[in-house]
Amino acid sequence: MIQEFTNTDDILKFAINREQESIDLYSGLAGQAKNPEMKKVFASFADEERGHKKRLENIQVSGQFKFNESQIRDIKVGDYLIDVEPHAGMTYQEALIIAMKKEKAAFKLYSNLAAKVEDPLLKSIFESLAQEESKHKLRFELEYDEVVLKDN
Amino acid sequence: MKLKDIITPFSAWSNIVKKPVTIKDPLNERPGADRYRGFHKNDVEACIGCGTCEAACENQAIDMVPVDGIETTKEDSGLRPLVDYGRCCWCALCVDVCTTDSLTMSNEYTWVSDNPDDFRYIPGVDKKPWDNSEKGWKKPDYSLYDPKRVDMEEIEPDDRISNFIEIVKGYSKEQAEKEADRCVSCGLCIATCPAHMDIPGYIKSIRDGDMEKGLQLLYDTNPLPEICGRVCTHRCEEVCSIGVKGDALAIRWLKRYIADNVPFEDYKRILGLDSLPENDKHIAIIGAGPSGISAAYYLRTLGYRVTVFEGKAKPGGATMYGIPKYRLPMEMLEQEIGLLEEMGVVFQFNTMVGREIKFTEVYTAYDAVFMGVGYEKPYLIAIDGEDAEGSIQAIDFLRDVNENKKPDLGHHVAVIGGGNVAMDAARVSRRFGAEVTVLYRRRIVDMPSDPEEIEGAEHEKVHLEPQAIPTRIIKDENGKVKGIEYLKAEMVADSKGGRPKPVAIEGSETILNVSTVIGAIGQEGYFEFLGTEFLEKLEMNRGKVITKENMETTIPRLFAGGDTVNKTADAISAIADGHKAAKGIDELLQANK
Ligand code: SF4
Repeated sequence: MIQEFTNTDDILKFAINREQESIDLYSGLAGQAKNPEMKKVFASFADEERGHKKRLENIQVSGQFKFNESQIRDIKVGDYLIDVEPHAGMTYQEALIIAMKKEKAAFKLYSNLAAKVEDPLLKSIFESLAQEESKHKLRFELEYDEVVLKDN
Repeated sequence: MKLKDIITPFSAWSNIVKKPVTIKDPLNERPGADRYRGFHKNDVEACIGCGTCEAACENQAIDMVPVDGIETTKEDSGLRPLVDYGRCCWCALCVDVCTTDSLTMSNEYTWVSDNPDDFRYIPGVDKKPWDNSEKGWKKPDYSLYDPKRVDMEEIEPDDRISNFIEIVKGYSKEQAEKEADRCVSCGLCIATCPAHMDIPGYIKSIRDGDMEKGLQLLYDTNPLPEICGRVCTHRCEEVCSIGVKGDALAIRWLKRYIADNVPFEDYKRILGLDSLPENDKHIAIIGAGPSGISAAYYLRTLGYRVTVFEGKAKPGGATMYGIPKYRLPMEMLEQEIGLLEEMGVVFQFNTMVGREIKFTEVYTAYDAVFMGVGYEKPYLIAIDGEDAEGSIQAIDFLRDVNENKKPDLGHHVAVIGGGNVAMDAARVSRRFGAEVTVLYRRRIVDMPSDPEEIEGAEHEKVHLEPQAIPTRIIKDENGKVKGIEYLKAEMVADSKGGRPKPVAIEGSETILNVSTVIGAIGQEGYFEFLGTEFLEKLEMNRGKVITKENMETTIPRLFAGGDTVNKTADAISAIADGHKAAKGIDELLQANK
């Protein structure tokens, strides 16, 4: 069922829930990972998501929504990579692919919602959330570019 | 008394009305000749602080001194010449030998001061009226050393493409001496060499014709000079001061010259390895790659018993085992291992820790453990179709070829990547008769491979396709590689000043019909062999093992080095790590006595 968004609060609640889902996903992966370094990697991804959730909660409390005007660069690193199924023996490369794909999906979701709603305020909030997700995606893509694609 | 003697005192008075011969304003009225050798000037930005001027000065009138605001970097010692005019004889030898042409002389020659200390100054830093003077002495058109490197003879591309014979022939005595003559012994290269080899020292031994001394200097910091003399990444050459205005010294080839020109049977005697000290401590080395071999050598010279565990049948590790024979003949490695065995180092081949023997057993049985396990696990290209038959990894391919296996590559090979491993895979594929295309995401200038490997590949007609991002591998009905699709990329500047990022251009899909795809995008470490208990204690950061300065990991008595520790991931850095770890282990065990 497609959720109806009538006001800012609905959107924020939705976005906060999504961040919580990400926290749960990464924490789960951290618990599952066999390799202690990967445990730490996923725990740090979960922490980053906690940071994103906190930002949204602050907005919810203050009612102050700062619109991000600047366009985030899309270097498309993750776009052509295969999907990775989470498993216990995951490598850093696989973890980064999961993270890039996740952020990309979130970006797409908010962009689609922005395109769908009529209300200009709600539209700009969705656009802003989409920008935020593309910023997160870029962060993982740059890491992938630097670590995995160092020789490529 | 003569009449003249009486008259002269009176006639001298006539001079009072004559024009004086002394000069009131000598600088303007009697300037130095255009090419006069007057006070020094130095373009401090162009100067690299090599100190050749200081070394050349017969009067010891130049001291290299630190200067505020000039940092020490790889290419710059951070020092600048201070000239002492109490000693200088204005011979201009310092200007003539300057490697960067930064040191010159103005044509000004008068300077009055009642403070003697004023006459010791740093040209270019302590501002002087002649700093902008155009006239004076500059380095002559001829050079005191040959700016051109002695060419290395190589087998021609057409003759080498059908075999694995070593391409580079090595210098003759005359060639090596001529090349060694170009070195100004500035020592800038020492700081850049990860092992801090005494490069000017061993180059001097070539000039002196003293190969034994040269070999001793090599082994002081590097027990694999025959190998480094062939495949070292030679970053030392990037900072060679002669390279600023001419060709950098061929440091790598000179190292090879020494190692190749001392009979191997004399090594033990020359290096004083005939009777080594013995103690009762036993060290285990995991991995017979460059870092492990280096640690084993230095530990053995310190008197330790050493056992090396290697999972494969032969030594070398990924860094060396995967290097094609046309760059590094296998005998070199075997010779080196032979020397270590003669020194008493025990090698257990086909014994992988974690497979044939548990890490806990090794850790408990030995006084200290060094692990140099290298990057053995390749990164996946991670695109659709990578599981196709004929889609392989470069390190497996290169190892198979070195083990004399004959690969079935088909008509056209696509190699993905731009590092040395990618170039090796491409050039080896050419030797099996395949057409080869290298797909690389960035520009050719961004390729991490050594420039001569790229050049070698081009000479052997490997086609380089830069700014190409693979998107999928196409299979035929039997699941075999049939082609590879890629997108062209545009380079986008990195706002944080890093290297530009390639971004795929939508709609630029190109399909290349290939029979084999070789992935060579990089490798990572594999530590599962440690077992969970130890793995949990091993602190790592982005795949790199964290060590203390002495190379000890967060697990006491476990030391580590090589690709899995250092950033540069090359043989010489691994050798340096092994040496440092040997010292670290020695210090630890001495302290615990
Ligand atoms: S090789 Fe080059 S950098 Fe090294 S001492 Fe000689 S001139 Fe200086």
